[in-house]
Formats: sequence, structure tokens, C-alpha cells
Amino acid sequence: MSNVVGLTGRMLRVDLSSGEVKAVATPRDRFERFLGARGVGASMLFDELEPHTDPLSPANKLIFLTGPLVGTMAPGANKVTVSFRSPLTETYSFSLCGGHLAPEIKFAGFDGLVIEGRSDRPVYLSIDNGKATLRDAAHLWGKLTHDTEDALRAELGDPELRVAAIGPAGERQVRYACIQADYHREFGRGGGGAVMGSKNLKAIAARGTGSVEVADAAALAEIAEQVYAELAEHPKARLRRRFGTAEMVEGTNHFGYWATRNFTTGHFEEADRLTGPALKEKLFIGDNSCYACPVACGKVSPVRRGPFEGQTIEGPEFETVGLLGANCGVSDPDAIVAATAICDAYGFDTMSAGATISLAMEAYEQGILGPEDTGGVDLRFGNGEALVAVAQQIGERRGLGDVLAEGSRRAAERFGVPDLAMQVKGQEMATYEPRGVVGMGLSYAISPKGGHHMIAPTMGLETAGDPARRLIPDGKAKMVRDTQLIMTIVDSLAMCSSMRFVLGLESMLRLYRAVTGIALGEEEALRIAERVDNLERLFNLREGLTRAHDTLPRRLLQEAMPSGSSQGNTVPLDTMLDEYYRLMGWDSHGVPTPERMQELGLTREWEAAREAWGGGGT
Amino acid sequence: MRHKVLVVYPHKCTGCRICEQWCAQAHHGEMNPAKARLAVHRIHDRQINVPVACSQCVQAPCIEVCPAECIGRDEETFGLTLNAEECLGCRMCVDRCVRGAIKMDADAETPLLCDLCGGDPQCVKHCPEGAIDYVPFDRADRGFREHHAQRLADEQGGVR
Repeated sequence: MSNVVGLTGRMLRVDLSSGEVKAVATPRDRFERFLGARGVGASMLFDELEPHTDPLSPANKLIFLTGPLVGTMAPGANKVTVSFRSPLTETYSFSLCGGHLAPEIKFAGFDGLVIEGRSDRPVYLSIDNGKATLRDAAHLWGKLTHDTEDALRAELGDPELRVAAIGPAGERQVRYACIQADYHREFGRGGGGAVMGSKNLKAIAARGTGSVEVADAAALAEIAEQVYAELAEHPKARLRRRFGTAEMVEGTNHFGYWATRNFTTGHFEEADRLTGPALKEKLFIGDNSCYACPVACGKVSPVRRGPFEGQTIEGPEFETVGLLGANCGVSDPDAIVAATAICDAYGFDTMSAGATISLAMEAYEQGILGPEDTGGVDLRFGNGEALVAVAQQIGERRGLGDVLAEGSRRAAERFGVPDLAMQVKGQEMATYEPRGVVGMGLSYAISPKGGHHMIAPTMGLETAGDPARRLIPDGKAKMVRDTQLIMTIVDSLAMCSSMRFVLGLESMLRLYRAVTGIALGEEEALRIAERVDNLERLFNLREGLTRAHDTLPRRLLQEAMPSGSSQGNTVPLDTMLDEYYRLMGWDSHGVPTPERMQELGLTREWEAAREAWGGGGT
Repeated sequence: MRHKVLVVYPHKCTGCRICEQWCAQAHHGEMNPAKARLAVHRIHDRQINVPVACSQCVQAPCIEVCPAECIGRDEETFGLTLNAEECLGCRMCVDRCVRGAIKMDADAETPLLCDLCGGDPQCVKHCPEGAIDYVPFDRADRGFREHHAQRLADEQGGVR
């Protein structure tokens, strides 16, 4: 077996039940078969989790992984993934975190860590230059995420320590609680924070001063310089540098696919207050970068309202502006920032929070909920104060917040209006309204972690050239599949998705070769990506998920878009699904075929999945 | 004074730490920011990034305080030099540096001193934001003057 240069060669295995922490050899063969981060995480999770594992039980795991490029000067290679069975969706899930945590884990001497079991009391994990210990966290339990970071920096005596922590939302197992790092970066989606809370693990603190070995430093430096230069000139990267990801507000709203008022339409009349230039003028006061990234899409904003008034946050980014903003009918940037600050401090996902609050707002406007349910809050669309008040209720699991903490699917069932939950497989969709950009509808439907936008973000491609094509299904299955394969490679290399503006597959593989010494061809890389995507599919098949689960809220399939430039459209999902399954080599029920699994080297996994699944649901 | 010095602008720094990566690479051939001769310190509660780097003091406390007299400077560039064999590892230079810019090499147990890369500082060359500059001493104050004047103008808005 060849050596994958760039890996430290060691991982941590932490059994919270017994308290045992041990360093184990990194499974290098998995890095060859599944590339890294997301791919290796999927493979380990599939092998280590029993089917139907309760996501909030000790048997679930949190598998954190970096990859060979992390910690080098490879631009944007600053992500660490966490893989787990989601308490929100009960499917396979993973989430990525940028910032400065991932390289620190490598500098501390580890490629990743597996967290298993459950501690009988609150603990945190301290990783310090090759050593790791579990420590008592009774004094940290209940603390907000940033207070936890500060307390650990003081306690461990290192102001440059990097911390991933849960807040009160994770402790209380809000089903979309995130794991927060660097104050305002997070493993955002799917409820990894709730899993961490269920394990009584408050935080992971890392510090390291070691080096990451690379095969060809000169080649790596040359590619890095080239990427810096290309990013400095690239129009999209330049927009992100100035306005953050909020640069997308104008186009998304213009083309009528900006989810507004709980996806009742795709056009927000007050979007002018939330465009990138508007936020830059009225809100943003600074810029932040993740490690080794010259784009600096992170924007810094003052909190001018709410319980965290007077503080500053990094953000809000586009999805947050969309889901806490337009999707709740709120156009006041200060209200969005106040709600974001609550989400970050308590540690829960701004996106799922926005789409769950918008559900409650729609139910309130329909008279299904009244002031007696909301603690007196006038929960109309557009009421920024109500948004802030309910966000805090969620963080504290208080009153209505206790119901909304369960996520939109469970809350909507509780309210008796399941169709009003804007989710797929229990995961709230992102802010691209699929009736106005139908490929994103397919993308949400087939995503292995539920309604997530970064599995196959096709919106840019769908509006390029002739924007009217965004409304029709033609060619979308192939577009989704092609985008999905590239994103799987990006995530498995632990790179930021923004790098793909200038880094095509060929450049990514040049970077990979410079670091690892492995000359991976494009065809083989795509094959690995397809292997990862199919393995994720098999994880969900093992849980009984087939075509019936690859669907969208009825509103998007049956009700015509009522306003904006995508007016009149619905999502022709079945047409696209048929074509997508065919391209993937799956049968008409969305089940991978044994022939294709054999070609991808997944026969063992296929047999295990089929045995647990038993053939139902088709 | 005609020598050139490093100037850092915290208001321009975004905290990507590309400067650290190239510094460590240039001096050690390693991917390891702990080996860099400068560091970006993030003030998390205010989300401010402060590059901390050697400013080539005219009367350099690190040189003056060193009990082993092992810190010197390059006559041409004014960059610092270290006679590592004589170094005691006492960290007096770390204590006295007015900018807190001297880090210790944990492996070699000696200070990491900025040598200005022989007159072509890699941090400056690769900073995507212009947050660190390399300018003649007699111009080293001008960037700050411009920044503060601009800020004053912004505060006053259109009022004259």
C-alpha cells in the first residue's frame, strides 16, 4: 500500500463510557478508497454503526476527520467534517466546519477522532501535541459557546487554543444543535451538537505545534500562488470578498428563487435591505478568513439589539440572511443579527431555526397557533422582535421553543399541519426555493442528509446562459449528478466550496498530488466520489429509505409559485428523479443495483445494507 | 534612516494566516505556522485580527537585553540574526520585545527572529490584503496617518 503523505498517521479513539482515550493508526486504506474527510467518515460510520442506532444513544458516534491537505498551504483546505446519524433526520449525516480548528487538529498530531459511548457526567476532551485527556466539565455545563471557549483558553493557559463546543442548545438536545468553533464557525447542520450533548461531551480543545508533511512543497507553493492570483481576479470571489456570501441575495431574488415567508413564494419584496451592498453599507464592520483562504468571505457585524447587544458576530452569511430573514419575512438586518447571535451563543443552526420559526409564523397567521402558544409573542411574518424572542425560546427550550427545538417536521406534526414543514427527510431546506430553480429541488430530494444545498449546488449553473432554463427539468439530472461528484471530492479533500470557483478538478488533483505524492487521475477521482455517494445512499437504504423518501414538501410539487419572476412554476420532481436514478445506475425505486455496486467495490456494503433493509418501501 | 521596515495594519488583516504559512515554509521548509516569525492573533470577542510582527526597532531591546549577546542584525537589511550556538534559551528577548513579536521554536529552544527573508519578506509578498507592508523607515508612519485621517473623515460624514 502506498503511503498517503500529508496524513499524521494517527487518530484518536475516545470511549466516553469507559473514559478510555487512545491513539490508533489512521486507516490509510480508507483514505485511498474514500479520499478523506467526508468520504472516509461515511465509510467508518457505515462500518461502525449498527443499523437503526438511536441517534441520541451511546451507540451513535461522532467521527471527526480532516484530510491530507489540511494544515498545509493548500488554499481553502481548512475543513474538518463530523459524520453521525442525525437526530433530526435519522439518516446518515455529516457537517463541515471551517475556521482554524481543522489545521490545529493536524498540528496536534491527529488526522481525526472517533467519539463513542456516553460519559456519566459532563466532560471535555483536551488534545495537546500528541496527547489527549478527558477532563471534568461540570463547571462548563450550561455555558454559552463563546464563554466555553474563553473558559477553556483560560483554564488550559493557551490564548491560541482552538475549541469546538456545544452550548445550552446542544446540552438540551435541540435536534438541530450545532458544534460551534472559533465563536462563529460551526458544524452547522443535522444536529451534531445534540449528539455531542447526549454524550455529555461539552467541548474538544486542541492545540498543536507540529508540522504537516508534504510530498512536494515547491509544487504546492507554486499552485498556491497561482490560486491566490486567480481568486484575486475572479469576479465571484471578488464579490464574496466584498459582500460575503450575501452577494447572492440580489440574483436569487431577481430570478425568483429566494425562499420567502416559509416558502410560500420565491420573491421577497423587501430584499433591497438585505443585499450584499446594503449590508456592507449598513452592517458589516470587518472581514474574517478561515485558515489559508484568501477570499475572506466572513463578514463581521455589530449586534445592536437583543440579549447580545454590544457584542460582535462573524456573519450573517447568505443562508442565515435568507432563512432568518426573507423566509421569516424579516428585512431588518439588526433583527437577523440579533437572532444569529442567539443561535451562535446557544449553539443551534440558523438555517433550521429560520425554517422552523417560519413554520410557526405561518401556523400563527393561519390561526393554528395563538398568543397563548407563543408566550404572548405576536409571531407574524416580518416581526423581527418576535423572531428574536422565539429564537431565544428555542435556545432555552422554553414554551413554544421546546416544540420548535424538535425541528420543523416534528413541530408541524404536533401542530397538525405536516405539509407546512419545509423539509426533506426532516432536514430543513436551504434558501433556494426549488420552484424557481428546479434542479435544486432534485438536489434537496436526493441529498443523503436531507434538504441540504451543498450536496449538489446547481443554482449558478441553472441560471447561467439562458436563465429561463432554471425552470425546466431538461438536463437537470445530469447537472445534479456532475455537481454532486465534484462536491463530494471537495468535501472529501476538506476544502471550502468557494475554492471551486477557480479550482477545477484538475487543479484540485494537482494540489492532492503535491501534498500526498499520489497521482490520482480525474476518472479515478470521480469513481471515488461515486463510491462515496453510493455508500451514503447505502447507509440510508439500510435504514429503509428509498424513492418514497426522495421527495419535497407538497407545496413545491403541486402549488404554482404565486409571485416573482418564477411565477406559475412547480417542481417536476418525478421526471428528474427517473433520469437521475438511471444516471446513477440505480433502479426505479432509487435502490443501487448489485452490478453497479460491484463495479464501485461496494459489494460487501451493498449486501449488509440489503440484509438490514429487507426490500420494503418499494 | 534608509533601511526598510515591516508595517502591519490590523484594520486590513482578515486572519487567513497565509503570512505565517509562507514564513514557516521559507525558513524551515515546513507546513507549520508555529515556526513562523510572525503571528496573527485573533481577538475573538471582537472578531479583530492583529498581525504581530517584528518592527525592526532602531534601538532593539532584544539585541540589548540578550545576556549571551547572540542577537545581531544584518547590516544591509537591518533584519535580525541569531547565533544559535550561543543562545541560552532564556527568553529575555521574548519578554522585552515591545510588540510581543518574538516566538520560541519549541524544537530548537531558540527564538524565532525575523530576518526579513534577506530583503524579500515572504509575508508581505503573499498577504492578499496588504495588511503587512515593507517600506523605507521614513515612510513607515504614512499608512497609519492616512488610515486615521480617513476614519476621522468618515466620522464627520459630509460636514466640513
